[in-house]
Amino acid sequence: MKEIAELWRYREVLLNLVHRNLRVRYKNSILGFFWSLLNPLMQIGVWYFVFKIIMENPERNYTAFLITGFLPWLFFSQTVLDSTACVTQEMALVKKAYFPRTILPLAALMSNIVHLALAFVVLVGLFAIWRVDVNLHYLLVIPATLLIVTFAYGLSAMLAAWSVFYADVKFIVGNLLSLWFFLTPILYPLGNFLGKQVTGKDWLTQIISDWLPWIKQVYLLDPVAICVLGYRSGLLQGGGNPIVVTSGPARSPAVAEAMQAQLRAQYPIGLYILGSAAIAIAFAVVGHIIFLRKSHLFAERA
Amino acid sequence: MSRIEVRDLWKRYRRPHQRVNTLKEALVAFFRGQTGYEEFWALRSISFTVEPGEVVGVVGPNGSGKSTLLAILARVLVPTRGTVRVEGRVCPMLELGTGFHPDLTGRENVYLNASLLGLNRRETRDRYGAIVEFAELAEFMDAPVKTYSSGMVVRLGFSVAVHLDPDVLLIDEVLGVGDEHFQHKSFERMMEFKQQGKTILVVSHELNAIGRFCERAIWLDHGHMMMDSTSDQVVQKYHSAVEEVERAAAQVRAPHAHPV
Repeated sequence: MKEIAELWRYREVLLNLVHRNLRVRYKNSILGFFWSLLNPLMQIGVWYFVFKIIMENPERNYTAFLITGFLPWLFFSQTVLDSTACVTQEMALVKKAYFPRTILPLAALMSNIVHLALAFVVLVGLFAIWRVDVNLHYLLVIPATLLIVTFAYGLSAMLAAWSVFYADVKFIVGNLLSLWFFLTPILYPLGNFLGKQVTGKDWLTQIISDWLPWIKQVYLLDPVAICVLGYRSGLLQGGGNPIVVTSGPARSPAVAEAMQAQLRAQYPIGLYILGSAAIAIAFAVVGHIIFLRKSHLFAERA
Repeated sequence: MSRIEVRDLWKRYRRPHQRVNTLKEALVAFFRGQTGYEEFWALRSISFTVEPGEVVGVVGPNGSGKSTLLAILARVLVPTRGTVRVEGRVCPMLELGTGFHPDLTGRENVYLNASLLGLNRRETRDRYGAIVEFAELAEFMDAPVKTYSSGMVVRLGFSVAVHLDPDVLLIDEVLGVGDEHFQHKSFERMMEFKQQGKTILVVSHELNAIGRFCERAIWLDHGHMMMDSTSDQVVQKYHSAVEEVERAAAQVRAPHAHPV
């Protein structure tokens, strides 16, 4: 309670830092804020070319599929990356005056929330072009965003604290994020992964096939994955179950439908949503505590 | 009630034997059993109180704990033991001009800096004109700070700090900033604060300035409080102690300096 009052007292510092982060990100660039919109669009263009044109992904509106997955991912990965620098870059401020140090990861988080909100402008524009019906299921985006924001705060608070003491954190995070990207259903539908069975003789395939049921469990408990699924369900599926198996050259519609029904029974999505929410909250609490316990040593770290 | 109350204050820094910057170094150190830290007490059992309106100088050689003491009073560092209480709005004048972002304009930096020192937007707006005028930077306020000279940056930092309307000023070696003209001006400003009855704690190596500006002084050496008395007495004692050390050093050196 005392902490919240203290944060409120220093809210202007937080707002000024957010404002500064936004001003500085695109300094010296002519297009400025447009890069927040152009970057994801260009990235999505490349994936569209590779996965739709070359690899012939059967998804009907693959662009919509990509963008609904990529926006929350972009927010998450950028926040986590920024967090590893958010204290070390502000050492001059930390040594100069007292302010609640929690402001530093919060400022990184809030700057990226603003970028996410801007990216929604692109989404709305595209939806207008495709003439998609607006419906109440769109509101699912709100709890999904809350979930990923909570998780991102916890993770970035602990990474921010550790990166003051260990420069490695930054590099580890960079590598883990590129792995994490592929372990989130952004480029491919979730059903394709959940329905996967691996058989093979070489040792690596053996290990993976032994562990696959567990990997699938962890995969579905990841708040980032659940958030992506929430976006898809709300924006593209009218609130439907996000476990979807698409038919295509490899699967007839009947086979796909049977597989989808079986997967939905096997993986009750409601339970995974609750589980991932619990994980996100646990991360937020633990990350916050770790940050607070380390923060009084920041100023001594030259 | 006193403005500043320091009771049995201890501050310990922990320095790893070898500076550990990466996980690998930490692991290597761990397996070699070098988990130990080198402990270094920057302040040992410091106690004093400062009444409203008192102007106190802090003297002592490098590494005596003066800056640590001020940083603890400013809440930048936390005490290892003991309690510290400071009443009213504190203006920490440590590391002036740091924390300015080079890509933001002078104006934006003033608002950021002022909020950090506890002013809200409206209060900053009210003082903005005075801040710019005092720093004499009116025509540069919309240019990014990276185009400023180092003197201009420090002037702006100083100007923001003195316009806070603080109850307590903590000044760390910043009276000598800027050119002759600005130094004169900032000293005038400090005299004004003194006349207004502000509580001031000032760290400086310029003993003359301490003697003239402060009524009372504290002498620190290796974290110990050596003396707390009128500034004249403290400056005199400190001066003679320094001279004595120098004389002793000269005697040790002498045979080598003049080989017969």
